[in-house]
This record gives sequence, structure tokens and C-alpha cells, in this order.
Amino acid sequence: MRMNAIEARHLAKQFKIMAAARRHDTLRDQLADSLKSWLRRPDASRAGHETFWALKDISFEIKEGETVGIIGRNGAGKSTLLKILSRITEPTSGQATIRGRVGSLLEVGTGFHPELSGRENLYLSGAILGMSRAEMERKFDAIVAFAEIEQFIDTPVKHYSSGMYVRLAFAVAAHLDPDILLIDEVLSVGDLAFQTKCIEHTKRLQASNSTVLFVSHNMFSIKSMCRRVIYLSGGLVRYDGPSEDGIALYEEENRLETLPWAVNQVGADLDQLALRITATEIMDEQGRPCHVFDHGQRMRIRLSFEARGEVKDANFGVSVFRSDNVACCHFNTAMDQFPVPDLSGTGSIEVLTPPLKLVAELYVVNVIVRNTTRGDLLTAQVGPSFHVRHEQLNTHFGVFHEAAEWSWGD
Amino acid sequence: MSTPVTLAAPTAESSKPIVLIGPRRGLLDLDLWAVWQYRELLYFLAWRETKVRYKQTMLGVAWAIFQPLLTVMIFAAIFGSFAKIPSDGLPYPVFAFAALLPWIYFSEATVRSSTSLVSDANLLRKVYFPRLIIPLAAVIAPIVDFALAFVVLFGMMRWYRVAPTWNVLFLPLFLVLALATALAVGLWLSALNVKYRDVRHTVPFVMQVWMYASPIVYPVSLVPEQWRLLFALNPMTGVIEGFRWGLLGKQSPDFALIGASAVVVVGLLFGGLVFFRRMERIFADVV
Repeated sequence: MRMNAIEARHLAKQFKIMAAARRHDTLRDQLADSLKSWLRRPDASRAGHETFWALKDISFEIKEGETVGIIGRNGAGKSTLLKILSRITEPTSGQATIRGRVGSLLEVGTGFHPELSGRENLYLSGAILGMSRAEMERKFDAIVAFAEIEQFIDTPVKHYSSGMYVRLAFAVAAHLDPDILLIDEVLSVGDLAFQTKCIEHTKRLQASNSTVLFVSHNMFSIKSMCRRVIYLSGGLVRYDGPSEDGIALYEEENRLETLPWAVNQVGADLDQLALRITATEIMDEQGRPCHVFDHGQRMRIRLSFEARGEVKDANFGVSVFRSDNVACCHFNTAMDQFPVPDLSGTGSIEVLTPPLKLVAELYVVNVIVRNTTRGDLLTAQVGPSFHVRHEQLNTHFGVFHEAAEWSWGD
Repeated sequence: MSTPVTLAAPTAESSKPIVLIGPRRGLLDLDLWAVWQYRELLYFLAWRETKVRYKQTMLGVAWAIFQPLLTVMIFAAIFGSFAKIPSDGLPYPVFAFAALLPWIYFSEATVRSSTSLVSDANLLRKVYFPRLIIPLAAVIAPIVDFALAFVVLFGMMRWYRVAPTWNVLFLPLFLVLALATALAVGLWLSALNVKYRDVRHTVPFVMQVWMYASPIVYPVSLVPEQWRLLFALNPMTGVIEGFRWGLLGKQSPDFALIGASAVVVVGLLFGGLVFFRRMERIFADVV
């Protein structure tokens, strides 16, 4: 019988948030503030803090050797959960039992010092991550080879390119050989070749019966690595079970979330936007809902939108991304010279793509609306995902495939 | 279940460490054992402190010598030559240097450990390890500078023909007392500093006052009789008197008083540990 690697029972975590005006950065502020509120009402000093439950009541069990994806929107409590499990912060109540050595990849490069050489930093961060010196000496060559920085190992890391830095940092973490590995979004770093390497490494860990807990926004990597997902929402477990269903539920509930890269530009709160997409439907040419397309099939995408006030000069766009984040194609109204009138209230717009001659893979449709003349972003939201089917064509063939014409030479 | 080839023999299974995570209860749960388990990290952090300190400086490690040397020259000029402060019959530079070395160590250790948690905030937020390691490494690292300057002190003693006594063997004890004092203060202040950054501004000032409250530029004999007892309770008085006793053959310090101040230090250290452990829970959340 397999033992439980992780058992979480009613974990809860409360944070005190201090309103900006009431921040007590210095003792004097704190004293003055407590005195003031104490004079007003006796128990106000306690009420001065706003509290916020990042986790309300989380219980689950994870067996040894399982790989579990943790999904949920920003602020659902995913990172807090990992922080508790890696003992960085304590739960307010509840308990967790962990069997085995925990390696966490909450952030690569923790403890790196820019002035120290690659070699020195390896030993340092190894020690920080809980590797003994003997262990580090044994694995040193493997780590350096994994990071592909043999020539620069004695150069201070401040002279490294960011790619080299990340590779070195991840290499240490990857060689921890933990019984339980906690990963938070770390695979989004580095170039594609390195990402693949990381995924392979994690798969090796899985094969050697390590337990992996994997937090990500990328449903594709979750799908490819985990058979089970735990979907957190508002500090509670919303769903715990097979990945397919969990991801479907998550996508159903969060499909129109702002794209991570756009959060800085338009903010995460969709209600604040002048124009937002309220639904994105993908269908076949005849308008029937569809999520699996044959290679060369056309796709109909309907975008429903809601404009607050009048929105002029909008340029609707849809982008298709492959699961490894390769941008495959993009269509927008401005490029296709489709006139868009001033918008107000609700409405919908449809696009029929040319035959999609993409290779067999998983894709996602992202919706991006810009102002045509100024180019600034009105909204950028995650849309639904779809599969393309083909017996032969896969990512080794490239991005798309179309028959070419051949002939014999004279 | 198929048996994995790689590891997981039954013995390996049962030897996996089990960690219980939950809100901590009890004041005296100091968990010093964890610090011992992480002793290699302690070594590496102390090593990093030393290694990084003089990187990209032209004089490098020589700074560890120049700084105390220049200070003692200034002291010798102002307090020795101009103010003519007595030095119990010893050459003033040697008299001051023997006290300045443990003092510089103590003040470095205190200042660095007080700010240590905040300057390593990144580690606190990202990785687990016993937090005590951080201020501990900060009080250990300056020992290297101390040792380097100590060589210079011996050179100076030869120059002034002052021979050390066998009591020099007791010096490590006094160094430990200085370390314990710095750690005790550092534990309190570093934990406070996480929440209240006032500490950063207060510490340099406190250290300056503390320096003049310790017999560095003047001998204890200059202190009025009725204040001696209170004066001796300052642990650094004991440390400095101990150094002068061991190195310069001055009359032995009052060990009863040193014992008394050691008791104070131990109390402060223990309180600091408890306080630190209590505050530890919120470090990662507020730092």
C-alpha cells in the first residue's frame, strides 16, 4: 500500500492587511495609532487591521509518487498553500503532515549573490536548499553540465546573461532529488529547449516515485504532467480529482481571465475595462460548438462583448497559441480591413478562419482588442482551447503544414 | 503497485523524515536541534558574508586591518596625547588596541545581526531553514576580521615590547562572551527590525553610546568608585578587561562581576531566543 506523502487537514491562513493609511512602518506610528484608537473605542486597536483569509479550509491527501497540479486564479491561495507546505510560513490553524524531504522551487536563484562565482553560488544555494556539502560535491559536475555553463563556472554570476543565471539556478534545484517536489510556475523561465529539459527532469523524478506538487496557470503543462488536479477557489478546495474534468471546470469558470502579460497594462479586474469580452465560443464552419478540429478545418469564433460608454476605433483580434507557447496565427479586423463602428452596450462579432493547417496539438485562442490608431490595449483575455487532429503531423513538423508541389527535373 | 527500481527499499521508506506543520504552541519550543542539522548552511552563510564583504575593493581584506589601525591612531592622538588619559602604565596605543579589537568585533556583530533578517528578506520569503541561522551567521562572520586584526595587535605588542601572559589562553572565553552578547542583542533587534525599521536607525547610535560606556579609550580606574558595580554589569567591560588582562598582563578583572554580567547575557540570550521564535512565525509574511 502506498503511504501518504502529504496530508493536509483543515489548513487555514489568515493575513493581516494594513490599509495604506494605517501602515505602521515605524514604532512611533504604531504607538500613536494605537493610542488614538484606544482613546476612541476600547477595542479599536484590534479592529485596526483588516484580516483576510488566504486559505479557509483546505484538506487533501496526496499519495507517494503522485503528481498533482494546483490550479486556481490569482489570489485563490495556491502560493500560500505551497508556502505552508514548504514551511516558509505557518498556518493559522489546521495541520499538515509531510513524509519525506521537501524540495521547493518557489523561486529559482534564491540566495544567489551577484559577486560570487557560479561555483561559489552553487555551494551556497545548495546549502540553502538543504543539500549537504558532500552531496553537492558528488553532484557538482552533473549540475554544471545540466546548466550548460562549464566555461563560466568561475565567473561572478553578475556577468551572466539572464538565461545562464536561470539555468544555473534551476540546475541546483533540479538536482535536489527530493521525495516531494513543490514547483511554482518555475517552468515558465528560460528558453523552450531548457523548459523541455525541466519537464523531462520532472518526469524523471515522477518515474523515481517522487511526489510532485505543481502550481501553474498553464493548463497545458498541468495536463501533460498531472493526472490529478486540485482546483482552489477563494481559499477552499473547489475540485479535487482527474485533471481533465478539473481543468474543464476551471476553464469554464475562468475562461475569460485577463492574460497574465496584460495584467500590468489593463489590470486584472475585468469589470473596470471600457470593453470586455463576455464570451468566446469556438465552432465549426456550420456554427456547431466544437473543440476538436481536423487538420485543415475552418473555425468560426464568436466574441460577445460589453462596452461601458462608447468605444471608438476598436480592433478585434484573435491569436492562436500552441501549448508550448508558440504563437501560430493571428487575425484582426484592422488587418482584414473589416470596418468596426463605434461600440456601446453589448454585441457580438464573428470571424471565420481560413482552413487551419496546424499540426496536431493543443491550442488556445486568446482575444486581444486594441485601439486601432493608438494601438493601446483595451482588453486581452484567455479564450477556450481546442485540439487539432492529424495522424502524422506533430510539432516535429513545425507549426503548420500545407501540401507543396513537386516535379521531376529535366 | 509495481516496485520502483531506483530507491524505496523498505528501510529507506521508514527512514523518510516526517514533518508536522501546524501553528506553533508553547513558548519554549526553541528547536535548537534544527539549527544543528543546518550547520553547513550556517558555515556557508558566514563564509558568504566574509567573501562578499571585500569584493570589488582595491585593498580587499586589508580593510580589516586598516580600519582598527586608523581608529587606534586617532584615539592615541586625541585621548592619549592631547587629553592625556591614563592607560594604567601601558603604552596608550597598545592599551587602546587591545580593547578596540573585541569592541569592533562586538559592534560589527551586533549591527550586522540586527539588520540580518531584513537584508536576507529574499531568503525568508522563499526557502525554509531555521531562521536562527541568519543572525547567528552574522555574529560569526566578523570573527575573521577580528582574527586578522589580532595579528596586527601582536605586531604592535612586539614593537612596544609588551609580552603576553599565559592568561592569553582565556581569550576565547571572552570572545565567546562578546559573541553571546552580540547574539542576544541581535536576536531581539533583528526580530524587531522585521516589523519596525526604526531599529536600523537606532542601532548605530546605541553602539556609539555603548562604546563610551565601555572602558576602551579610558581605564576602569578612571570610573568613580560608586559606579563601578553598575559599570561592571556591562558585559563588554568584562570582555575588554579580560583582553587587557590576558594580553597585557594587567591586573585580573573581577570574575564575580564578569560572572554576574554573563548571567545577564544568558538571560538576555534566552529571552531573545524565545522572542525570536515567537516573531519567526510572521517573518515571511511581513518582511
